[in-house]
Amino acid sequence: MEVGRLPISASQRGKLISAGYTTLSSLSSISPSYLARDLKISDNEAAEIMRVASHGHRLDGSKGGCGTVNGAQTAWDMLHEEMIPRITTSCADLDNILGGGINCKEVTEIGGVPGIGKTQLGIQLAVNVQIPVDYGGLGGKAIYIDTEGSFMVERALQIAEACIEDMSEFNGLLRKDFQACQLKMHPNNILENIFYFRVCSYTEQIALINYLDKFISEHKDVKIVIVDSVTFHFRQDFDDMALRTRLLSGIALKLMKLAKEFSLAVVLLNQVTTKYIDGSFQLTLALGDSWSHSCTNRVILYWNGNERYAYIDKSPSLRSASACYSVTSKGIRNSASNCKRIKMM
Amino acid sequence: MTPENLLQRPLATQKCTLGCPVLDRCLGGGIPCNSITELVAESGCGKTQLCLQLALSAQLPPSLGGLSASSLYIHTEFSFPSRRLHQLSHAFRSSHPLIFGNDPCDSIFVHAVYSADHLFDIMPKIESFLANPRTQFPVKLIVIDSIAALFRSDFENTPVELKRRSSLFFKISGKLKSLAKRFGLAVVVTNQVVDLVGPSEGLNGLKVGNLASLVSSGRRVCAALGLSWANCVNSRLFLSRNEEVVGEENGLVVDVNACGGDFVPRRTRRRLHVVFAPHLPESSCEFVITRERVFGVER
Repeated sequence: MEVGRLPISASQRGKLISAGYTTLSSLSSISPSYLARDLKISDNEAAEIMRVASHGHRLDGSKGGCGTVNGAQTAWDMLHEEMIPRITTSCADLDNILGGGINCKEVTEIGGVPGIGKTQLGIQLAVNVQIPVDYGGLGGKAIYIDTEGSFMVERALQIAEACIEDMSEFNGLLRKDFQACQLKMHPNNILENIFYFRVCSYTEQIALINYLDKFISEHKDVKIVIVDSVTFHFRQDFDDMALRTRLLSGIALKLMKLAKEFSLAVVLLNQVTTKYIDGSFQLTLALGDSWSHSCTNRVILYWNGNERYAYIDKSPSLRSASACYSVTSKGIRNSASNCKRIKMM
Repeated sequence: MTPENLLQRPLATQKCTLGCPVLDRCLGGGIPCNSITELVAESGCGKTQLCLQLALSAQLPPSLGGLSASSLYIHTEFSFPSRRLHQLSHAFRSSHPLIFGNDPCDSIFVHAVYSADHLFDIMPKIESFLANPRTQFPVKLIVIDSIAALFRSDFENTPVELKRRSSLFFKISGKLKSLAKRFGLAVVVTNQVVDLVGPSEGLNGLKVGNLASLVSSGRRVCAALGLSWANCVNSRLFLSRNEEVVGEENGLVVDVNACGGDFVPRRTRRRLHVVFAPHLPESSCEFVITRERVFGVER
């Protein structure tokens, strides 16, 4: 017991233990007068015990503040943590409804009909995570897991070149006096920093996600993991649907753990399917209801007339809103038309 | 498991030319390898013509845009159009006399498939055929003409059967994609269209891809096999045909009565549209089918 290690008298120790104070953390969250009343000792004695305890607590160097469980934090501590970095999507409207961009430390699911731009968004994020810290980005690397074969290197090169062009423009406009901030990035560097994996079956997918833990601990600068798409191999015939649900929740848990442990963003791209709700068929994201609980945030991409929209379907911190974006030769950008007003739901 | 080095591959995915520079420009170089491209059209638009032409131009060397490869042509509906293939190959040979030593038709392997289960069952056979090339050219192009015919008659309209059909889509497409990746193949499948009846709201007129609606022969259509199949292909191209009265496109008003009785000079206009593709913007191109070949026209 931690209290047993404190340099206090045996009678004080006995009173502490019989009152239930066995750990240093339990002592750190109360006031001396409360301790005095609880143990029926004088205020001075209580203050002395508290002082010794906090000294011992500091020596311990336990991380996570006053939790008894390793890694637990109080909400107050979390609020005072550094601002969670976000990855921009290169479209200002989309960034606005996402609160600045894709959140690190969270799993975001993005789904839509074929041809709406899911792969384009995935490639754009894999490029944008590499924007250097000087330009407001994360300066990290990306892991791109391709299950469908939609990743085209020439498209990634096109988007990388456009990103570098934008950064040079930014450099020119705002940092005229900083001669030192020369842009040294080349599109090939950007491609080098995307770790591309191609998987051809669901067993490979599961094995790869299990392996990511080891991979990322060797490559600590990876800041985003994109899976395009997480559904494809799971929509084949599974005789035992319960097995599918178990495998999927296993994957979801591992990815959430990765996100929290290494402070990176996880983006899962999903397909759509039809579901019979309230007497009619409606579009929902694939993989079923149990999968819909596995992601922190959910964004649905859809067509509205001739414009592409993104809608926040589920998020613990963002309100439901939709924004217009477009897919251009440079990647994901603001829509050029006048649908730029963000609609609040 | 190691990640692939993106800089090691050639920086542009290898593509198979369609045999015409105008069409190739519309498609960013041709049909890409290592992915599944779908050709959607109503019957009589030219899907089979394009596929035959593709099988011939795949034998061209890479310097001319081809793959130096033979092709596997899987046909499902009608018997293989060998006479048309011979016609096209004569024209091809005369335009590239130095390249085709043997008869180009020798490098096109044909197989008939009768049902979806049959296709899935012969996958191992296809895989061993790809792994052991018996000719000088390895197979690098697989054409399935058409995939819709396999699925449209075998399955009843009950939820259980439709679910089985849907999971068969993903199985077949998953197997084709893994073959494409392993051997660097280009896979082309052709699909039919169904009419869109009723209002285009909700699921009925679900917009998939760039085009607001697909129009062919004056009717609103959409691709057969539904939303699940649309998720299985990497790119979708739509071929349309429209009849128009000659002379109208120049703004002239054609006086139908003056044209001698019932005869009104009409012409078929065919267009190729990109519905969705990971590497292409929305574009379209007009094309013409002649005795020698299919080629695109620029106006």
